[in-house]
Amino acid sequence: MLKEKSTQSVGYEKKGGFFAAIRKNRIAWLLLLPSFYALFVVMWKPVFTGAYMSLFETQGYETVKFVGLANYIDVIKDPVFLETLINTFEYVLWSLVIGFCLPLAVAIALNEMVHFKSLFRTAVYLPVLVPMVASSLIWYFMYMPGPSGVLNMLLAKAGLPAGQWLQNPKLTILLIVISMTWKSFGATVVIYLASLQGISQDLYEAATIDGAGIIKRAMHITIPQVMPMALLMLVSQIISVFQTMNQPMIMTDGGPNNASMTLSLEAYYEAFRYMRADKSLAIGIISFLILLVMTVFYFRLQKKLEG
Amino acid sequence: MKKKQNKSFHINKFSDKTYGIITALDFKKGDVKLIYGIAVAFIVIVSLICIVPIIWLFVSCLKGMDEFLAIPPTFFPKELHPEKIAEVWKELNFGKYFLNTAVMIVGSLIGTIFLNGIAGYALSRLKPLGSSVLFALIMWTMMMPQTLNLVPLFKNFLNYTVFHFNLTNTHWPMWIISVANCMNILMFKNFFDTIPLSYVESAKLDGASDLGVFTKIIVPLSRPIIAVIALRVAVANWDMFLWPYLMLKDPDKYTVSVMLYYMKTTFGIDKQIMAAFFAIIPPAVIFVLFQKQIVHNDNNAGVKG
Repeated sequence: MLKEKSTQSVGYEKKGGFFAAIRKNRIAWLLLLPSFYALFVVMWKPVFTGAYMSLFETQGYETVKFVGLANYIDVIKDPVFLETLINTFEYVLWSLVIGFCLPLAVAIALNEMVHFKSLFRTAVYLPVLVPMVASSLIWYFMYMPGPSGVLNMLLAKAGLPAGQWLQNPKLTILLIVISMTWKSFGATVVIYLASLQGISQDLYEAATIDGAGIIKRAMHITIPQVMPMALLMLVSQIISVFQTMNQPMIMTDGGPNNASMTLSLEAYYEAFRYMRADKSLAIGIISFLILLVMTVFYFRLQKKLEG
Repeated sequence: MKKKQNKSFHINKFSDKTYGIITALDFKKGDVKLIYGIAVAFIVIVSLICIVPIIWLFVSCLKGMDEFLAIPPTFFPKELHPEKIAEVWKELNFGKYFLNTAVMIVGSLIGTIFLNGIAGYALSRLKPLGSSVLFALIMWTMMMPQTLNLVPLFKNFLNYTVFHFNLTNTHWPMWIISVANCMNILMFKNFFDTIPLSYVESAKLDGASDLGVFTKIIVPLSRPIIAVIALRVAVANWDMFLWPYLMLKDPDKYTVSVMLYYMKTTFGIDKQIMAAFFAIIPPAVIFVLFQKQIVHNDNNAGVKG
């Protein structure tokens, strides 16, 4: 990524004396300032103030008394926390089972289509355009228990008994993950399609001449060629699903009985529903640290793939 | 090898297929035909799963309330009530929420394109002292978990720094969040990196100033990247829910997403469905207009010429 020492910059570094250099830098710094100020406010400062505030007891959103690690101890001791942590990993697990191979398989198959290729591509991409709240609502209607739910209606037509769907604590996370995958996998398909089309046709031709069938070509050319992209997608998917908050908030409110609660949603409820900002921050820090480990792993992977 | 123009609904022949894993010759084999058939079936099923809920939403808008309450309810409406769409639009005053969302998007667009654009330009071309550190910082920030900003950022928006502004019921929080986007800065930088330096140099020889180079050469050349980022920002803002929900407390200020969430507990299912349908229209229109830029794709990209 760091391709800093390229050939540009030549025209801008003519030596015009010390003050001219400062002046030139000053203009460039000025151009950078607004964006980096926004990044500072939104991204960096909250990490430090959040970490600091998590060591205090809070009232409203003001710190009242230094309590050290008491917030963390409270949070971890709460039996709901462990359940929520496991749930969060369950989201990630299901999203990998459903959402990781599917876009790759769809992209490979789509790339082979002779007829209606762009029609299929549009169909697959369409859900990406549905706003998150709307897609959560659509799937909420699909999953609605009772005879008026769309899935139950279809089951009834097929003569099958109705399901409880989101109300079933064993299914609720899986169903939410299905709705999330529906909304977002088209975007991933498009990325894979681009990288599939980057594969040189010469490779396939050479393999064909050597007598490789289509399965062998897929295994030994296609898969290895998209592997770097697939690994990066994998890690970024893990990191983003780990932070799931809005979909369970809209579809189940974290229920039934916390069965679909995630760490992020718990942090949100602590902050804005139960008005315990200190507990919310402690949960935030804990998930921050878990994700930080994954992020470091991501960067190592990226470096390895680029090296 | 022939290079073929592949227009979207153009009738293609299997014998012309020169891209991908399976090529024309393979279609003579029976097992390849079978695998191809399975692939077609797979794509058809996936496409159906993608569009059926949207079609259901659309046809449900045309249903009367009695059909929603009927047991069992109908999938396709028996009677069409298209006039209901206009009624509900008026009753909910949905135009107001579209306008609020539009104001939010326009502010985000102006802020992001201008501020992230000049930042990308500075990182790409001006490279002031410390820019490599800032660049590394951007790469790190892109992957930084967002789990911590909830309370500190909310607190900050209630009492915004030096002047103690309360940003509740304004669009400023969403604008600031939109500008704080590493990916956009990075995309601008990468684009500016590809503009040949010779353009800039020849303009300078002709006596153009730094500002002149930027406005006369860089900006006109940047139209494609500006279009791409504008789309990204518009779609992301239309999708944005949590911060508008936290910051916009006045119902007159609600954006479309916030209104949808609010409706979930206060309105009947038919109105919710209709509102969800309204919320899909603008991105769908944008998609139809800018399909090429969004799903940029060339069937023959892998073919040598």
